[in-house]
Amino acid sequence: MPAWLSPLIAPFVVLNVVIGLVTYVTLLERKFAARMQSRIGPYRVGPHGLLQPIADAIKLMMKEDIIPRVADRRVFNLAPVVFLVPCMLIFATLPFAPGLGVADLNIGILFFVAVSSMEIVGLFMAGWGSNNKYALLSAMRAVNQIISYDLPFIFAALVPVMLAGSLKLSDIASAQQGLWFVFYPVIGQLAFLAFVVSTLAAENRVPFDILEAESELVAGFRVEYSGMKFALIQLGEYAHIVGSSMLGAVLFLGAWAGPGPEWLGPVWLLLKAMFLFLLFTWVRWSFVRIRVDQILALSWKVLLPATLMLLVTTAVVVVWRTAGV
Amino acid sequence: MSEVDTSVKTVVRAVTRAMWVTFANLFRTPVTVHYPDKTRTLPDRYRGLLALVYEKDTGEEACIGCRLCEYVCPPAVIKVEMLKTPARNYAKTFTLELYACEFCELCVQVCPTDAIVMMKSFDMATSDRRDMLLDKDRLHALGMHYERSWATGSLLRNMQGPPKMARAEEHAKPAGGEA
Repeated sequence: MPAWLSPLIAPFVVLNVVIGLVTYVTLLERKFAARMQSRIGPYRVGPHGLLQPIADAIKLMMKEDIIPRVADRRVFNLAPVVFLVPCMLIFATLPFAPGLGVADLNIGILFFVAVSSMEIVGLFMAGWGSNNKYALLSAMRAVNQIISYDLPFIFAALVPVMLAGSLKLSDIASAQQGLWFVFYPVIGQLAFLAFVVSTLAAENRVPFDILEAESELVAGFRVEYSGMKFALIQLGEYAHIVGSSMLGAVLFLGAWAGPGPEWLGPVWLLLKAMFLFLLFTWVRWSFVRIRVDQILALSWKVLLPATLMLLVTTAVVVVWRTAGV
Repeated sequence: MSEVDTSVKTVVRAVTRAMWVTFANLFRTPVTVHYPDKTRTLPDRYRGLLALVYEKDTGEEACIGCRLCEYVCPPAVIKVEMLKTPARNYAKTFTLELYACEFCELCVQVCPTDAIVMMKSFDMATSDRRDMLLDKDRLHALGMHYERSWATGSLLRNMQGPPKMARAEEHAKPAGGEA
């Protein structure tokens, strides 16, 4: 294989795997949610509903594509793509195994955080372009919330960075081959908790889902979308959740560390990411939505000072330990 | 607002309890019944499809065309015409517009001969409204086809009313006292 070919093939493979994964993650979530409510979830399409995501995809592709007459057509049509691209780009820096990944940047975590925040542009375009007051309200709430929760998210993600002493995700992962950062005494658990909470908020999952609050805003910023554009937005959202779960697995759960031969590494990473995803789903079905002011208060009054303190403590611990050694 | 307890202890306990409830339910057997493949046993007092029945001993139509059900029906979906004969009366026509029926069971309760009954069935889905306009023959056919709900009509009435024996004794008492 010529050297120039691999940068073309790797993204292609990763992109397709991610799309397939994301499609089936929806089934996983539906099944899991159903069992939590003593239901069985999708069951009729294929054995135990295994073909349900494919049926859903076909249904969405065949649906009529409706553009509201008063919508800003260009912004409206562009928004799903602008939304989807950052959500897919976040997989670029994730290391799936030692040396296996699209681009193992030396500022991997920075790239992840920067790109994943860019989805807000597409989201606001969707809300604005729809020319619908509910969509606009939702988009404004989303901007409000995601900007508020990016700081605690970054601070929580910086704790493993400091412990590992590198911004490179593969370095962070290999630094945990002995001790996963989630098991690092006190600091690890607190950082993991902060990471989970701020990820939930950044993904707009229940209990932080004010932007798509079903009882007031129907579907939020995507209320006017239908057919394939709706599918793109859903795909982007789930891709973002899966990407964040994978980041959590890399940062806190030791990435590919696990028993078995080395080639099982990506499987372990996937299992850990799915564990995180199920944790998010579990939280989703356990709590009710909280108010806008409560969400912002939690971010600015609790999580931000707490993660800052945690970061300072981590710095002290790291310096003390390296000086001690 | 200020009375809400937001201490760490309370929040942790609340979060743990909420998560525990969903977690415990995760391992329960789902209550879902795969409907077209399996059907639930309907309760004995199920208010389902309406039908007319024949008398068990003689095999004659039980309906005497008294039109009580027509009078009592709140949405007025029952239309009956009486056919007078020397021995007993019959319903000449009996139509029931099931598409407007509200399944209140009043017709079943007023029927003096328990001719109109409710069936243990909800298989009424159709794409044609005319399928829901039931005449006498179709009501009889439904009565033959489905299982009958248990406590309808006079059965229910007798069950809800004062016990018959006790009342008979009550009437007998003054007579017995005089004797």
